Amino acid sequence: MQLNIEFMKRAFIASLGAVPITLELTFITMVVSSVLGFLLALKKMDKKKNRFVDAYISFVRGTPIVLQILFFYSLLPTTLNYVLNVVLGLGIKVFDIDPIIYAITVFCLNTTAILTEVFRSALSSIGYGQMEAALSVGMTNWQAMRWIIIPQGLISALPNICTTTVNVLKSTSLAYMMTVQDVMAVAKKEASYGYNYIEAYLVVLFIYIILCVVIQLIFREAEIIAAEYKRGRAVTQKTFSRRWSYVKVKKYT
Amino acid sequence: MRPLHPSYILVAFVKIFPFITVTLATMAGTVFIGGFIGLLLASAKLSKNKVLAAISDTYVYVVRCIPSIVLLFIIYYGIPEFLQSFGISINDSSKWFFVITTFSILFSASMAEVMRSAYESVDKGQREAALASGMTEFQAFRRIVAPQAIAVALPNFANSLVKLMKEGSLSYTIGMVDVMGKGQLLIGLNQGSYGLETYIALALIYWILTLLIEKVIGEIEIRLSRGKRKVALGG
Repeated sequence: MQLNIEFMKRAFIASLGAVPITLELTFITMVVSSVLGFLLALKKMDKKKNRFVDAYISFVRGTPIVLQILFFYSLLPTTLNYVLNVVLGLGIKVFDIDPIIYAITVFCLNTTAILTEVFRSALSSIGYGQMEAALSVGMTNWQAMRWIIIPQGLISALPNICTTTVNVLKSTSLAYMMTVQDVMAVAKKEASYGYNYIEAYLVVLFIYIILCVVIQLIFREAEIIAAEYKRGRAVTQKTFSRRWSYVKVKKYT
Repeated sequence: MRPLHPSYILVAFVKIFPFITVTLATMAGTVFIGGFIGLLLASAKLSKNKVLAAISDTYVYVVRCIPSIVLLFIIYYGIPEFLQSFGISINDSSKWFFVITTFSILFSASMAEVMRSAYESVDKGQREAALASGMTEFQAFRRIVAPQAIAVALPNFANSLVKLMKEGSLSYTIGMVDVMGKGQLLIGLNQGSYGLETYIALALIYWILTLLIEKVIGEIEIRLSRGKRKVALGG
């Protein structure tokens, strides 16, 4: 087997141009789903059972993401068109919407459910004693949440948020099914000229591994900083400089 | 907008249902091979040999970064050509080979982590106490460490299994006719109509399978950790 190195270089450069799309998809999904997931997790912390939320989480966790993509991508545009143009008569060109919007919607629906579970388990990992202690010193329920439970919960959620981010990044490789021009789609397009599919997929593989490693390194830094914070030390410039002393440039010394 | 035909959901459900066996069979093959590789990886991770541990760590780290569809395509397009250069032709081999190879690679990485964390969760004193009371190394593992480790590993194993099943649905992209593949074929046969109904039927099947896996493994876990709880309550 002879790999076409010349083509791989070309495909690598072309695919690098699509990395921002992949990262944008991941980033927006994570931000939106974090907010929604956090709110849902707070709602789930109440003793009252919410059947709708439970069913939604169970459904998303029980079905493949590729199925969710196919399902919503065949459902969303026509439904939107019907609601906006036939019922409301707004005359919006639904079929001209950038497919990335649909992709973000689908990934958000998926990730929100996963992050809800992440936040819920993180928040409930903070013992009842903490809440009771906070209430006993005169904090209100909300103050106790805001100053005691949530900061600790977020720190213990960090490793799981990292896993979720990596998983979202990996599942964005399916966005090509919604005609989003991400890394996978661009590499495929490059390959289709000369049928160099193996090379193209190897390039995609390489790019995804780099992206995942970078994300995991960023989260590891965040965890180290969070651990300092948890130990009760003030997070100062010192924390950073101690970690990054080996990359210090001469002009600072 | 086209109205939804709820009755077709049932039709699609009945048509797709027999293909659950294909999905389950691929899963069984993957669990067997991937589990075996995972076992090797986990023992390499736990071994005193630094080189082996590093190789195993790197493997797990890298494999967890790979999107399954990319690996599936690389295996599907790459392996036949790679073997062709040695004069071996596997172009006629069935899709099972590619699917099971791909998902074994992915599954072994998560299994390695599951097994390692389960083994480490059992207190070292347990093994030492077993050895001190005259058991051999194998007896200590078989009678003392393994039963406890398996109980710890089961929830994570269930998670990996569900993940495997969900990612396994991607095998339709290379033409494998499992649950998902049959659904796509049905949509094709209907010239693209009844797409939504078919997807709903597929979602129901996957959802039911997931709940079943979680339920069954949950039951086994309760059974296995029975002794443990008694000690905790009694002490």
